[in-house]
Amino acid sequence: MSETHDIVLRAEGLAKTFHLGFFRKRVEAVKEASFDVRRGEVFGYLGPNGSGKTTTLKMLMGLVFPSRGRAEVLGRSVPNRDAKRRLGYLPESPYFYDYLSPEEFLDLVGALCDVPRPLRRQRANKLISRVGLDHARGRALRKFSKGMLQRIGIAQALMGDPELVVLDEPMTGLDPIGRKEIRDLMLELRHEGRTVLYSTHILPDVEMTCDRVAMIFAGRIRNVGPLSELLTARLISTEICLRHDVGQIPTLPEKAQLRQTPDGMMVDLPEEADVDAFLKAALTAGSSVISVTPRRESLEDLFMREAAANKVTA
Amino acid sequence: MNRIAAIAWNTFREAVRNKILYSLLFFAVLIIVSALAIGNLTLHEEVRTIRDVGLFGIDIFGVIIAVFVGVNLLYKELDLKTVYTILPKPLWRWEFVLGKWLGMLLTLAVQMAVMGIVLGIVLALEDAHFDVPMAKAIWLLFVNVMLVTSIAVFFSAFSSPFLSGFFALGCFVVGRSVPDIRALGETMGPAGKGVLSTLCNLIPNLHLFYPSGAIVGAEEISVHRQFVDADYILSATAYGIAYSVVVLVLAMLIFRKRDFV
Repeated sequence: MSETHDIVLRAEGLAKTFHLGFFRKRVEAVKEASFDVRRGEVFGYLGPNGSGKTTTLKMLMGLVFPSRGRAEVLGRSVPNRDAKRRLGYLPESPYFYDYLSPEEFLDLVGALCDVPRPLRRQRANKLISRVGLDHARGRALRKFSKGMLQRIGIAQALMGDPELVVLDEPMTGLDPIGRKEIRDLMLELRHEGRTVLYSTHILPDVEMTCDRVAMIFAGRIRNVGPLSELLTARLISTEICLRHDVGQIPTLPEKAQLRQTPDGMMVDLPEEADVDAFLKAALTAGSSVISVTPRRESLEDLFMREAAANKVTA
Repeated sequence: MNRIAAIAWNTFREAVRNKILYSLLFFAVLIIVSALAIGNLTLHEEVRTIRDVGLFGIDIFGVIIAVFVGVNLLYKELDLKTVYTILPKPLWRWEFVLGKWLGMLLTLAVQMAVMGIVLGIVLALEDAHFDVPMAKAIWLLFVNVMLVTSIAVFFSAFSSPFLSGFFALGCFVVGRSVPDIRALGETMGPAGKGVLSTLCNLIPNLHLFYPSGAIVGAEEISVHRQFVDADYILSATAYGIAYSVVVLVLAMLIFRKRDFV
């Protein structure tokens, strides 16, 4: 299968400018968003609050018309009804018809997705069980907690048996158990062969679930790629832990930092070239080395670095 | 078609579960039942009074419900953000607007049927019949609320419920007064006459749907004596549907271009 066929969603130079208020003040919510999502992966769309994540997803879902650029979902230009039939979407902080029960709501969504009636009932029942809402089948959605609404939101996104599932901030407002359940569900969806695109600013969730990510800051995409490529390339420092009661601490190289930890003395060496020389000096001075840990850039480090760089250039 | 029906049914279901609508319906029924008491105060005009007061109740409450629900029909979806869940489904935006409108129409039809049945019961208590002229009058009132709903939906496609309600009620009041406005124009100069004539051509002629007391074909029309014939009903219905279609298409065009931020 060629690379082109493998892509289920593509954004090319998407931009959106709003004109707000009486004086039609220009607000550039998204300045440039280009990325693609490949079949069968979990793709994270990361960015701080107000960076343009939701606007990008709304453009992809046909809720907002782009000012510039174009988008393709499942091989069709957005908006396209055939493509919509093959995708499921959970909006940010979802609101549903609160006078309906989960079964009624899923039946409505199924009808909108052209699912035949008998299959609708069957699928709704399965999905209600799958998202753990068996106990609330007959309850009106207005009586649902935030977590339960998020779950029924995911169930409605899956009602059309989609190839691509787009979730806007699915973890927001959930407790740790709820977050884990949603993470597990996303991994299950990938295992079933579906593609998942989700936006978030909760970085540990991304590290646990995503194959690839795109980062957006102030409406502009900064990094796109597999997490492994984005993170391993950069060694931040090497941490060497020495016992504090044995031997002497050798002279520290320039920029190195020393701090006390419960295990001993921690030396932080920013330069990789200093590591061998420092270790030799420590052993010569009779020190006992407890550990040597290369500290690679974490997603949080990368995120903060990009956020800071963006603040400077903004 | 299934998608439109699903939206329509859901809109109807929402209205059925809305307590405010029951309150309005209760007051409408109260007015119709009170016609019984008012009729008893008159001298041998009980049935006439019941018919007049009953039709007035159905008319006014039909329009109030049409405006109240019509202006909120689309706005509520945006305000509560339910539209973000529904529109990304394989559904055209015009299907959504049409479905909402049809659901609203079904709601109004049921409510007017309930009011009509109550009026029939009240008439039966006075040994009178719910006859063909009454059925024709209620049908015309239904076409009237259909048109008012379409206008309310049109305004709600681009403005707030308050403004939409204000404009829709304004259209109702002016539309009901079209013959009077035309007559006023006749007494004015060419410029004034032109302005009022243009206004009358733009605003729906809602007087067509409440013809009792008007002169149609040189005869005075009344639900108590000679009411309009089938041709009138057909042409008034065709007018109501045509005007509704135009207004709804405009609402759909506006809705099609909207960003749902």
